[in-house]
Amino acid sequence: MPKVSKRRLHLFRRGSQSLGLLLGILGFTGIGMTHLIFPGLHCYACPLAVTVCPIGLMQNLIINGTVPFYWMGIVALYGLVLGRGFCGWFCPFGTLNDLLSFRKVRFLRALSPLKFLILLGTAVAAWRFGDTMFCKLCPVGGLEASLPYLGLGIAELNTPFWVHMGTLGGTLLGMVLISRFWCRYLCPMGALLSLLSRVSLFGLRLKADRCTGCGVCASACPMGLKPYQEINSTDCIKCGECVTACKEGALSIGFYLPGREGRVPVRTSGLASRLNRVFARK
Amino acid sequence: MKRSFVIFLLALGVALSSSAQEIRLTPVDPQAVGDWAKPALPFRLHPTLDRDVDYQGPALPMRLWGDLSLGSARYALVLGVSKTGAPGLWLDQNRDDAITGDELLSGERGDGYYLWQVELTAEVDGESYTYPLGLLWPEGRGYIYLIGGAPRIGTINSDGQGHTLVLVDGDINGVFGTEGDFYAVDVDADGTIYGDADGHEHFAIDEAFTLGERSFRLAQVSPAGSWVRLEQTEYVPPKLPLTPGHPAPDFTFTTLRDGRRLSLSDFQGKVVLLDFWATWCEPCMAELPNVKEIYKKYHDRGFEIIGISLDTNESALRSELQKQGITWPQYYDGKGWDNQIAALYRVFAIPATFLLDREGIIRYRDLRGEELADKVAELLAEPEEAPPPSKPPSVTAPPESILELTLPSEVGLMPGEETEVSVQVENTSPYLAEEITLRLAELPEGVTAEPKTIANLPAFGQRSVTLTIHVPEGTPQGNYPAKLVLTYHYCIGESCFQMSDEAELTLAVGKEPTAASRPWNPWWLLVLLGVGVALAWLVLGKGASALGIALMLVAGAAVGVGVYLGQARQAQLIGAVLCTSCVGIEEGRPEVPQVSAATREALAQLSRPVKLVVFHTPWCHSCPFAIAMAQEFARLSPNIDVELVDAEKNLDRAEAAGVYRSGRLIVPAIFAPATGQVIFGTRDLEARLLDLVLKCQK
Repeated sequence: MPKVSKRRLHLFRRGSQSLGLLLGILGFTGIGMTHLIFPGLHCYACPLAVTVCPIGLMQNLIINGTVPFYWMGIVALYGLVLGRGFCGWFCPFGTLNDLLSFRKVRFLRALSPLKFLILLGTAVAAWRFGDTMFCKLCPVGGLEASLPYLGLGIAELNTPFWVHMGTLGGTLLGMVLISRFWCRYLCPMGALLSLLSRVSLFGLRLKADRCTGCGVCASACPMGLKPYQEINSTDCIKCGECVTACKEGALSIGFYLPGREGRVPVRTSGLASRLNRVFARK
Repeated sequence: MKRSFVIFLLALGVALSSSAQEIRLTPVDPQAVGDWAKPALPFRLHPTLDRDVDYQGPALPMRLWGDLSLGSARYALVLGVSKTGAPGLWLDQNRDDAITGDELLSGERGDGYYLWQVELTAEVDGESYTYPLGLLWPEGRGYIYLIGGAPRIGTINSDGQGHTLVLVDGDINGVFGTEGDFYAVDVDADGTIYGDADGHEHFAIDEAFTLGERSFRLAQVSPAGSWVRLEQTEYVPPKLPLTPGHPAPDFTFTTLRDGRRLSLSDFQGKVVLLDFWATWCEPCMAELPNVKEIYKKYHDRGFEIIGISLDTNESALRSELQKQGITWPQYYDGKGWDNQIAALYRVFAIPATFLLDREGIIRYRDLRGEELADKVAELLAEPEEAPPPSKPPSVTAPPESILELTLPSEVGLMPGEETEVSVQVENTSPYLAEEITLRLAELPEGVTAEPKTIANLPAFGQRSVTLTIHVPEGTPQGNYPAKLVLTYHYCIGESCFQMSDEAELTLAVGKEPTAASRPWNPWWLLVLLGVGVALAWLVLGKGASALGIALMLVAGAAVGVGVYLGQARQAQLIGAVLCTSCVGIEEGRPEVPQVSAATREALAQLSRPVKLVVFHTPWCHSCPFAIAMAQEFARLSPNIDVELVDAEKNLDRAEAAGVYRSGRLIVPAIFAPATGQVIFGTRDLEARLLDLVLKCQK
């Protein structure tokens, strides 16, 4: 893939993020709720939503005891095509994270698996309590449903509303302090997509012979990763910030077969990851 | 020959017509006969419509469809919320399969709901008639309530006396005489019809009623509701009135604890509380400490309780009685909702209580909390002769099935094998169904099937349940009728209902199990996906590429299976229902303020008139509570006069009272003109309002 200019990649990404936002609020055209599942966290209770939230649907399917062929197939396809690329290129809440990314810091990588615990907790709570417990806490729901319904004069300033405002406020504060705070530590949809991110078609490629190990890519990464050491990590949202930052042209982004040279994914957590980092230092 | 045959037919006709009396019916305003003649049913809305109807109204960010049938006439409707938040209801009144902007209905906003009134045309058997219908939308919900029933009124002449008959389309389908419809007859010709579901003048469409010595049933009902034909039938005892002022029907029972035979009449001379309850009924259990307290306080003075348990689990009931230390007599027959005493007292919802005076006369119904204690004390203090009744009967609705079963009509079974039968359970209501049990009954000898239980099924939820039927070797081949029994309970607000439904199916022993009885469930696709996810963490290089492509094929197949099984539609339906409790929308429940005994006493001692002005607005959600509290004060003291003022329409008055300040309205507000003092909000309202009232006395 030829080297893409920084400006062009940015333009592409903002364009696709706008498309994600547009799909999120397509209800303004009068289209009602469709059968489609949104490839990111996007509250279906949003008055303008035309697609179903994958995490909301997952909880409802658990409550109803449905064997989830449709849901699992769609989510797997999303994971196999773009993987967490949806977080970086499509998800409206991810875009909000981007807009508030003032500090691209490496911070508490050990907390990264928390999102898997949240995903598991969401599923267990739906099964145990027979209710969409995650939705009651979801900051995306607070932003996309509670606030609009308050504006429409339908919601009330009651406990569920304030709980949403609390989680939304906390998340926004986190986003300002730590770039992509929600995507890094908390997003259960990000956790789902990352399961297949390693074999997804869309991803980064590293030409090892060009890499000087300068670490510029690491300082550009909003997820606090070191792309030159852990290319296509499961935490990588494939935003391409590192690609444009690399002056040597060692990194590229695009659709490749997952087994192609330079796409070797590396674990980002656990023993293997630590060992990898130790070896990389040597 | 021909002539004599005609004469015979005429004579037969005359003979038949003399035994059947035709009553002509005319439409009547439900207000004129009672609220019971205006049933309300939940009606689900969908994101799309099954048939082709063109919506040409304004663009709406939120839009839901409904398809309404009144006989053969079908009306598509669209409920939408505009960008400004205003809801609208468009109804295809001319039935041209196009909803235009001018088909917007005009409605009104209430507390937490919108109500539209419309007159539609119902068509039945080529006959058409006008059907007035109310459509009520609880804000933010994915369903509306249909309020209709199109009541018809007529007069039955029997023994020289006229009895009013009212026929109601209870299931609001535009066709009279169908299951779910009902009628009411003023059997005692007193001018008032007790047509509530538990009223003694309410009858299901196939139920007989009795006038004097003769009983009648509806032999034929005009589908358009213009007439009914009455037919004399075998005598059935008349339903006993259960309204305050009437004697409580006597019954004899065996107590659960010590097996004593007791009759209600044995308690003559005592104040008796008949308490219909169950251990699974949360409101009943919440009230229990209060009942125990009252029993402890007044038992020695002549107060007795008879508990009638609608439980179906005896050991659970016994352990609860022991745990709670309940010593008063309990009746239990294990029949749940078919409990004999509950049937005698037409109890359709629990908790239900009847408070009887020393003469055995029903004096109060469905009392709880402090009011129960007060009334028990009042009845105990009364002389033996009872004064006239004081409280009208409470309105309850008969329990309706909220779960629908879908199952194969015939199940093929092979002797010596186990066969799985898939049963679909769907909740068709906005209420939560709990403790759902599915059990196969009336099975042929030797055939067994384990019952299945679902803890709960949320509003409009679906669940597939697999029952395993075991047929032993040597079971003779043939078709055996069996029944699937579904039991569950649900609560609406403070009332709980235990339900039991049955569906019939045929067990075809010796016939190969059909595909219908074995749900298609290629679960291995999902296992393959799971294995793929695990491998994705291990495989590198070309293996990863191959794995990625293979997983895409598996995921694609899973999507295909899901679409085939209707899961895409299910996803759409789930997406269209709003989790209102998540986003801060709560159903507007009218809160009834409970006033403490001290406040009641203080209010009873008021000597001078007090005027209170309650300022409210239509958009204020806490105003109904403030209004109810002020009205409760006025009810407790004849010296208090309450005036309700819509602050938006009376800004001058609001400004003069200090409720409208610097361009802002502050509501709810209660203003006392005598002192010029005003109080705002609802927190600690009882104490603050009492303070306001007492200051007016000085």
